[in-house]
Amino acid sequence: MMLVVEGVDACYKDLQALWGVSLQIGEGELVALVGPNGAGKTSTLKVISGLLKPIAGNVLLDGRSLVKEPAHRIVELGISQVPEGGRVFTGLTVLENLELGAFGAKARKAKDESLRWVYGIFPRLEERKKQRAGTLSGGERQMLAIGRALMSKPRLLLLDEPSFGLAPLLVEQIFQMITEINRQGVTVLLVEQNVRAALELTNRAYVIENGRIVGEGSGEALLSFESVRSAYLGCAPSPGLAG
Amino acid sequence: MSGKRLVVIALVIAGLALLTVLPVLVQSDSIINLAILALLYIALASSWNVLGGYTGQTNLGHAAFFGLGSLTTRLLWLSVGWPLPLSLLAGGVVAVVFALLVGAPAFKLRGVYFAIGTLALAQVLNMTVGNMFPMITSLPAEYLATYQLAPRYYLFLGLALLTVGTAYVLVHSRLGLGMMAVREEEEAAESLGVSAFRHKLLALSVSAFFAGLTGGAFAFYHVGYYPQFPFGPVWTFDSMMMAYIGGTGTIIGPIIGAVFFVVAKELLALNLLELHLTVFGTLFILVVLFLPGGLVEAWGRIRRVLARRARAREVRLASPEQASGHQTVVGL
Amino acid sequence: MTPLAQSLAFGILVGGLYGLAAVGLSLVFGVTKFLNVAHGELLMLGGYAGFWFFTLWGVDPFLSLPIVVACLVLMGLVLYKLLFSRMVKLSEENKIKNTLLVGFGLSLIFQNLALRLWTADDRGITTSYSGQAFTVLGVRFPMVRVASLGIALVCLLALHLFLHRTYTGKAIRATVQDWEAATLMGIDIHKVYLLSFVLGAALAGVAGALVSVGYSIQPTMGLEWTLIALVVMVLGGLGSIPGTLVGGLILGVTQSLTSYWIGGTYREIVALLLFLVVLVVRPQGLFGSKEG
Repeated sequence: MMLVVEGVDACYKDLQALWGVSLQIGEGELVALVGPNGAGKTSTLKVISGLLKPIAGNVLLDGRSLVKEPAHRIVELGISQVPEGGRVFTGLTVLENLELGAFGAKARKAKDESLRWVYGIFPRLEERKKQRAGTLSGGERQMLAIGRALMSKPRLLLLDEPSFGLAPLLVEQIFQMITEINRQGVTVLLVEQNVRAALELTNRAYVIENGRIVGEGSGEALLSFESVRSAYLGCAPSPGLAG
Repeated sequence: MSGKRLVVIALVIAGLALLTVLPVLVQSDSIINLAILALLYIALASSWNVLGGYTGQTNLGHAAFFGLGSLTTRLLWLSVGWPLPLSLLAGGVVAVVFALLVGAPAFKLRGVYFAIGTLALAQVLNMTVGNMFPMITSLPAEYLATYQLAPRYYLFLGLALLTVGTAYVLVHSRLGLGMMAVREEEEAAESLGVSAFRHKLLALSVSAFFAGLTGGAFAFYHVGYYPQFPFGPVWTFDSMMMAYIGGTGTIIGPIIGAVFFVVAKELLALNLLELHLTVFGTLFILVVLFLPGGLVEAWGRIRRVLARRARAREVRLASPEQASGHQTVVGL
Repeated sequence: MTPLAQSLAFGILVGGLYGLAAVGLSLVFGVTKFLNVAHGELLMLGGYAGFWFFTLWGVDPFLSLPIVVACLVLMGLVLYKLLFSRMVKLSEENKIKNTLLVGFGLSLIFQNLALRLWTADDRGITTSYSGQAFTVLGVRFPMVRVASLGIALVCLLALHLFLHRTYTGKAIRATVQDWEAATLMGIDIHKVYLLSFVLGAALAGVAGALVSVGYSIQPTMGLEWTLIALVVMVLGGLGSIPGTLVGGLILGVTQSLTSYWIGGTYREIVALLLFLVVLVVRPQGLFGSKEG
């Protein structure tokens, strides 16, 4: 197992957001983490990428604990997060954004090669490389955010709701690119509210509700979960079954 | 009413009584002057605190109100010949009018821009007054002959009490609640129907009025000074420092801060003469970094620690068998 | 015509220095949101450093600039590690307030020490070439002040190139925009903060040294220059180096023209009034972008 999260509790100030969260991701997998709004999906990603330090539990990358490492070190160790909304540097150009993705010393040396790779997956970015990121459309910004994260040649890519706010056609395109990225050897952990789309990408997903992992499995198994069912089938949730 | 509260009230009354008879008890002019300085700072720091501490608007132009009050009072009292009480009141009024005039555009600015803007505005006044009134203003001979310290002392005492009292009443009213809401989360407050602008303007007016009155008292107190002097930024910064040392957002904070400030400066000046400001600046930085709530919060923390120890002691005394395995959590 | 042109010339010459004085503060505030009101004292220290290197050891004030920079870099490091690094974790609002207060404390300390160590006298550096000037169309340009403006421009250009052409510079700009996203790029925010703070101190030091050679320095000059830096920073707009330069020039020229038309005692007043008008009408400054 490449990434192991075990028993993580995490808090924002006085509010506990995660309770005993555990999950495992194997090398080369594409795993989804689904759940309703506010369930703790982003928090889980933040714990992995180091932006949020857990008060209990551990995060292990190839057996090595990450919880004591500062966030910028975790990037060097091979984990790259695309935050919700992409959060590109709007005042900088597309190229500058990508260059910053390869900030670490190792990544910087391989910068040109990485650029070629990213342009290969997202040709639109090469067209717009001199443009200020703030002038890009929503879909292009998302592509830029993902491309930027790829510049560090990560082993594990964390994607926080890449479909958010995008038109369905764009969502399909982005998801195709994600599949391609995974096919090229990058392990992916995809956080999505859009369960339907997520389950189309992968057959392995975790369900998180109210800060707790309530289940794991393939598409059919997940349908047994209330939140998944209501999201997937549009049924109203019935009381008493929430995790 | 608990025993503790009665003690506090008794102490306050005793303190006030002492303050009232101070000029009679103490014959030393230098001590009275020191007391006056402390009372002046109490009023100035408390008035700053209404806008800065309770409403969260860091006003770096407080000296403008102080200066306007002193200028107005001095002119009306000495040059125009108005009776003193009226001149004092006029000082406060002029300060408020100025505050209301600049309040509207000023409060459009947020955060650092508000701070820089108020500082710049106060400096404009500072320099303009310096240009328009470059000569020292001195008490004329007949006033000098009949100059008495005691009435001035009582004026400042009354002013300090009035300022603190008004702040207390304001803060404990619904308006005070609104002000604090604006300080904490302005947008949330607005959505609850609290007009941020009105509350800020109110706090500004109260702040300005009492700073203006204090300026007027300053004009009554000082024999000779440059009219520009009370407009200097040092008065703003000193008020802020006192409020922060004592604890902004509390009524007693500025009082403690002012007394601490005056006493510390006096002691340091006596002993270290040349470098007392250096030491003072260092002390101040230490307070900002390590005692963010000022002395009030430090006191609160000490009390909590003592209370915890007292409780733990009670538990041990009550049941020694229980207590032997009991973890006493002491300190923070 | 000539006295007016002369006024303008002086305004431009000093305006460049104003821009340099402001850009350090602008950089620090933009990146870290620290409002270091002791910035003027750092400038003063640079001024005295240049002065003493010249007076004690005869080092030409322009040649001693690198040493002055080194001194201020050291001072910036010490101040950051001791004091400002403790405020990194605060919310933006508290960062501004607390650094404001710490800045007060620092300015008390520095002013007091400077007064005791170096007396309250005005100081200035007079070199062998201080009196020289070249005259163009009847307007006199003192060599020293022209050189100072030149150095100021060089510094501003160097800073601009640094921020736009180097990796570290881009990392700084990225941190200004979104520090969390910057962290996710592997950028160590603490290093960025430290670097920005130290750079700001260095720039203040250079400005101060240039002031001591072309103008004069006193232990109490800190507040005046902090206010200048604040005004120019806001006037020009945060985050824009050309804007800061233009802001400085505008301030300098406004002061000179006011001096010429109304009288010397009103030069600062009019300049501040202009600033206040801009602040209310266009708070993001002339070149700044509307930020959330």
